[in-house]
Amino acid sequence: MAVVEVSELRKTYLRGFWRTRTPVLHGIDLSVAAGEVFGFLGPNGAGKTTTIKILMGLVFPTSGAARVLGRPAGDRDAKQRLGYLPENPYFYDYLSALELLDMVGRLHGMDAASRRRRSHELVERVGLAHAARRPLRSFSKGMMQRAGLAQALMGRPELVVLDEPMSGLDPLGRKEVRDLILELRREGTTVFFSTHILSDATMLCDRVAIIVRGTIRDVGPLGELLSPAVQSVEVVWDAPAEALEELRRHPGEHTATAEGQVLRTTDAAVAQAFVRAVVAAGGEVLQLQRHRQSLEELFVSEAREGAGA
Amino acid sequence: MSDRLGRIWAIALNTLREAVRNRVLAVLFVFAVALMAFSVVLGELSLNEEVRVMKDLGLAGTSLVGTVIALFLGVNLLSKELDRKTVYFVIPKPLHRWEFLVGKFFGLAGTMVLLVLLMSLILSAFVVAQGGQHGWTMIRAEILIALELVLLCAVALFFSSFSSPYLSAMFTACLWIIGRNTVELASLAEKFADTPLAWVLQGIARAVPDFHLFYVSGATLERGGATVSVHETFVSWIYVGQAALYAAGYTGICLIAATILFARRDFT
Repeated sequence: MAVVEVSELRKTYLRGFWRTRTPVLHGIDLSVAAGEVFGFLGPNGAGKTTTIKILMGLVFPTSGAARVLGRPAGDRDAKQRLGYLPENPYFYDYLSALELLDMVGRLHGMDAASRRRRSHELVERVGLAHAARRPLRSFSKGMMQRAGLAQALMGRPELVVLDEPMSGLDPLGRKEVRDLILELRREGTTVFFSTHILSDATMLCDRVAIIVRGTIRDVGPLGELLSPAVQSVEVVWDAPAEALEELRRHPGEHTATAEGQVLRTTDAAVAQAFVRAVVAAGGEVLQLQRHRQSLEELFVSEAREGAGA
Repeated sequence: MSDRLGRIWAIALNTLREAVRNRVLAVLFVFAVALMAFSVVLGELSLNEEVRVMKDLGLAGTSLVGTVIALFLGVNLLSKELDRKTVYFVIPKPLHRWEFLVGKFFGLAGTMVLLVLLMSLILSAFVVAQGGQHGWTMIRAEILIALELVLLCAVALFFSSFSSPYLSAMFTACLWIIGRNTVELASLAEKFADTPLAWVLQGIARAVPDFHLFYVSGATLERGGATVSVHETFVSWIYVGQAALYAAGYTGICLIAATILFARRDFT
């Protein structure tokens, strides 16, 4: 069953005194299955946050349909079963982390004992136990993000929606969020998160969607989206001085680096022939690397196509 | 407690907590208490009217500070949620938008009632210290002030559901000033009887919230024509009950209108 289902979703904002029309989403389609980690990728201003706000009932679509956990987006019963971390989260800064979680627990209809137990469990889990009673206004950006994750998990959600969860975090904080997402996946929770940090998506996502200027450019498992074909081969090599000149005449792009001589070619057969020549000349192949399309390259090419469209 | 009431209570409790922890309010509260303390000095200057001066200044201070706080909190109630982006966190929680709005209102109304209660207790301590009696007349006057503040919050909340805090403050303050002077407005309409201006003035006097209803000290009431003050004749419990019903009705209309406007709003 699809946990998130979006079809022909359009959103046009009316801005300013003259109600100027600003189209943001141009009829997008998406489907997220239960239990998967789904990455929603796109450059800034692509429509990621607008899509998420529609799913969360913060913004109403101009046309099209958005369903969450089998209910229309914004439905109270659907919201009961999901957790949401907004981008750059802001909470009531006069509350402590425990008070914030208690309030969220009340909204989820939890009794006092469950709220207390779950709040303490979550502040431990996100590493905020030492600051649980401090007002949120004294929290750093990273601590605020952790508090945000804790409140998103308070109601034991089936679906967790995270808008740019790594934004503003240091490498350690990012790793902790990544670990948490993987932990949620192990527990069977569906995770839908938006990001423009591609390495995170590569590490975490079962499937991704790439959105550019309000249009979905690609959806699918990363393995399918990325071209399996070898795009280039890099050979790092060394050889006796008298053989260097001869070997450098082979086709391909030759450079000299601190690691050794480097040949880069887009033709795998040329690389194989070169390796044989190096060995025949009494040289040594130090490293051989096949280079396939990375998510970053896919992202950039989709973004360029989108910009040109 | 039903789930729905529990959710409204969660929002109301949070709003109350925010107000209690707000330093500006603490400063205003201290100002009101200082005004009561100053009335002791003024009372000494009067001839055997210490208690009277204290009651007058105490009630005026409670009303004035309460009005400023109700206006300040009411117009910021929703805009602060948008400015601080806390609305992005709370609307996706399992509650209806109207529950959020009603919870915010009850939190604010509770704050006003608490404020009046606390200031009344302090005032009664001052009055008793001066050898006077607080009494039911004062309690009725204080209930009327609390009702006025709750209604003012509802009007401010209505405006803040669709306009900026500055505009909301301006609209609400204008309505409060007109509402406090409905009697004058009605008598002005009588002067222009049978002219279109009279109809406009009468229409305004009927449509704006009648804040005059809640501040009766020194007023000439329609029925009986008596001038009432907390020192002489004063309104009955029946009058207070009728004023409460009026406040509840007008507050309900403001809340329903605010809910309708809030329900379709995009939080971009």
